[in-house]
Amino acid sequence: MLSCRGLRKTYQTDRGPVDAVRGADLDVAARHYVAVIGRSGSGKSSLMAMIGGLSQPSAGSILIDGADIWSLNDNAMAQFRNRRIGYIFQFASLLPTLRAIDNVALPALLDRHSGTADTYNRAAQLLTEVGLGSHFDAYPSEMSAGEQRRTVIARALINDPILLLADEPTSDLDVETESEIMALLLNVNHERGTTLILVTHNLALASEAEQVVQIADGAIVP
Amino acid sequence: MLQHWLLGSLALQNIGRRKARASLLIAAVAISSAIVFTGVVMMRSIETSMAVGFSRLGADLMVVPQNALTNITAALLTAEPTGEVLDADLLDQAHITGIGRAAPQRVFRTEQSEFGGQGESVDLIGYDPGNDFTIQPWINERLGRPMQPGDVILGAARDVPLGSEIALFGKPFRVYAKLGRTGAGTHERGIFMPSAELLALVPAIREQTRKTPPMLEPRKVSGFLIELTPGATELQVRFALLSHLSGTKVVAGGSLLTGIRQGVTALLGGAISLVSMMFASTALMVSVLFSAIVTERRSELGLLKAIGAKRSQIVGMVLIEAIVATGGGGLCGVVFGMLLLRLFERSLVYYLTEIGVPFLWLDRMDTVLVAAACILGAGLIGAIGALTPAWRASRHDPYDLIRGEG
Repeated sequence: MLSCRGLRKTYQTDRGPVDAVRGADLDVAARHYVAVIGRSGSGKSSLMAMIGGLSQPSAGSILIDGADIWSLNDNAMAQFRNRRIGYIFQFASLLPTLRAIDNVALPALLDRHSGTADTYNRAAQLLTEVGLGSHFDAYPSEMSAGEQRRTVIARALINDPILLLADEPTSDLDVETESEIMALLLNVNHERGTTLILVTHNLALASEAEQVVQIADGAIVP
Repeated sequence: MLQHWLLGSLALQNIGRRKARASLLIAAVAISSAIVFTGVVMMRSIETSMAVGFSRLGADLMVVPQNALTNITAALLTAEPTGEVLDADLLDQAHITGIGRAAPQRVFRTEQSEFGGQGESVDLIGYDPGNDFTIQPWINERLGRPMQPGDVILGAARDVPLGSEIALFGKPFRVYAKLGRTGAGTHERGIFMPSAELLALVPAIREQTRKTPPMLEPRKVSGFLIELTPGATELQVRFALLSHLSGTKVVAGGSLLTGIRQGVTALLGGAISLVSMMFASTALMVSVLFSAIVTERRSELGLLKAIGAKRSQIVGMVLIEAIVATGGGGLCGVVFGMLLLRLFERSLVYYLTEIGVPFLWLDRMDTVLVAAACILGAGLIGAIGALTPAWRASRHDPYDLIRGEG
């Protein structure tokens, strides 16, 4: 399902080039739950961003469902991100001027592959599934951190992606809320069969994964 | 359509997020637009006033006495009211080719006509109805019958209803017609009548003034307005007149008009340069502002890209925001400009009209077109100003934007 070969990410800084990811090879089977662990600054987020089509690798290739995503042109890449990838950031990533239901519907509205009514029905259904059935009209500023994260999960699922990438989605949440969010994500993986790659520092959560990838100093530890 | 609505909605919401900043941007564009709108309408009105005032006069040349003072405006319309006169048969004697029509005029300025109040200056202008091509074409409204003896035509500035009876030197006259507004003072304030009628008034004038004005002598005129035959050049006829007629001055309306127009054109050119510079500086200001706005929102733009927004959508959203803000500024500027024009109308234009220099406003359709151009131009400024920052931001990887490196 996912195949990375020779992935490298080098950032240019004032002090010279810095290698965030150095020659990573990774294979992930469909419907699997993969945990990515490693110390802060080890290159986990950079790896996730390259897999999610958010950051172009300095070298290497990424195949998702057989498609070399970084060979796609701008529009095709945008469509790929929109339809095939669900991305959950380690920070609240909702547009502040939109209601919860608008934020959830936004990816589908951008690509317009379904009607507005259908999109909003689906957004409402997803919000209900993540426990926010009474928060359709709430703006991000009116929601707690946990509610915002649930909304982000609902948004990530609106286009029914094949790959869900979660980059430390609970890093700023309390333990109880973290448990709820993680349960939600694992449920998505189990019930929907969506491949889940989760970056976490929680080793207990990682232990539940079918595959654990450890990164150290930009390289995947064999 | 849905995408456009969505992007437009996001853009409007973004404008509403920073109301103070949006208001300042709109105000800055509004001021620029108001200046451009007011300036263009005023300049076009001035140009129209001159073009209408001069181009419809019909005379290519005017022959006046050598020592006659010529007022440019009046010279293009009628003989200037001075004491200098020419022989009425001057042109007949000279047999000059190239003259199509020659319209003799007698212009008698007096403060003793008793018309319009004690001591009011009135220009009584006698014309030859058979050869006239500068007065009758200007009739704007008239009684529903042919002109009769005892009828006069009034300039547009004379506020006397059609059909009214007026008295000149104690003699009654009927207001038969009124001329349209020309922008030329003598024409605006004049009282026109066939020369025969004016000459018939001489006894009454003499009784009042105890003398006969020289231009009201039967064989004298104030000057001739000349229309050239097709193919004759102004220069040829002018030289012919000067070589055949001693003691005369030939005023070429066309060259005067050309000179004035050249002056106005230079002024318009300067105004256009000013408008262009204002356009460029406003676009630069908008560009700087939107660079800051895009930098401030790079994380959101990155987020939009991350969830599948195309580059065109990112650029489109920023452009819509800029166009709405600056177009709104343009709209406010046009409204403000209209208020300024009303102010001009009640001050400068009113003053000009009062002193006999009517001002012809640009017609409504053209004014609407200028207003539309100002609003569209303001929107275009926004689009141009925001395009570069938006395009540059759209080029970055979503992750760079989200990390604040866009």
